[in-house]
Amino acid sequence: MRGKKVSQMKILIRDNKKITRKKLFENKEKFHKEQAKLPFEEKIKILIRLQEIANSIHKSTSGGKLGVWKIPSKSRSK
Amino acid sequence: MKKTIAVLNQLRKKGLIKNYAIGGGIATIFYVEPFFTYDLDVFIIPSGTVKKQNLILLSPIYNYLQAKGYKWKGEHILIEGVPVQFIPADEFEKEAVARAKAVEYEGVKTKVMAPEYLVALLLRAGRKKDMEKTEKLLEQTKIDRRKLRAILRKYGLTRKFDLL
Repeated sequence: MRGKKVSQMKILIRDNKKITRKKLFENKEKFHKEQAKLPFEEKIKILIRLQEIANSIHKSTSGGKLGVWKIPSKSRSK
Repeated sequence: MKKTIAVLNQLRKKGLIKNYAIGGGIATIFYVEPFFTYDLDVFIIPSGTVKKQNLILLSPIYNYLQAKGYKWKGEHILIEGVPVQFIPADEFEKEAVARAKAVEYEGVKTKVMAPEYLVALLLRAGRKKDMEKTEKLLEQTKIDRRKLRAILRKYGLTRKFDLL
């Protein structure tokens, strides 16, 4: 019962729109599934962006470098 | 990565490897949402001539790549900016290579292990990060459950899968 109450709890998001916690998590899952359907090339662009983010965090915390794929700019995200 | 794949295809064309398929994290990304990973795992079936006294010699491949100017970086060889790890396939992986999915990357043909084999191989590896990939595959892509069950049975992984 308590779980049901929590899942129906409303959250105020942008433009005064309200959604339930349940819906929020459903949307999250939908987003992950949509990302999974992206073309392979698009996913590799995102991967390189992730490598760049990881590299900059690593550089600022430990001063070291992590690898980032050095492939032509056409295959990189903007 | 297009150029990296073209080099892998050259290795096959030149007879330095019999066959190959992309496995590991990058193969998983083919089927699920992108996640952080670094290397490109390439499972290879070496050509018959490179087997010597139960030792798999990858030196012909490395010599060829080094002659083309590709350099080592730790355990990887950097091919066109991508760190590649060549893994000689065992019996299980050979089957996964043989049944890999033919795909194209920016117009270049390559092969990616099928999701059912990826799940089974990740289960066999059994590390925490492998389990996370297994869960993503089961949640985010279409898995042929009958095919998966048959693979798991063949390689004694059914119990491990059922404990997930």
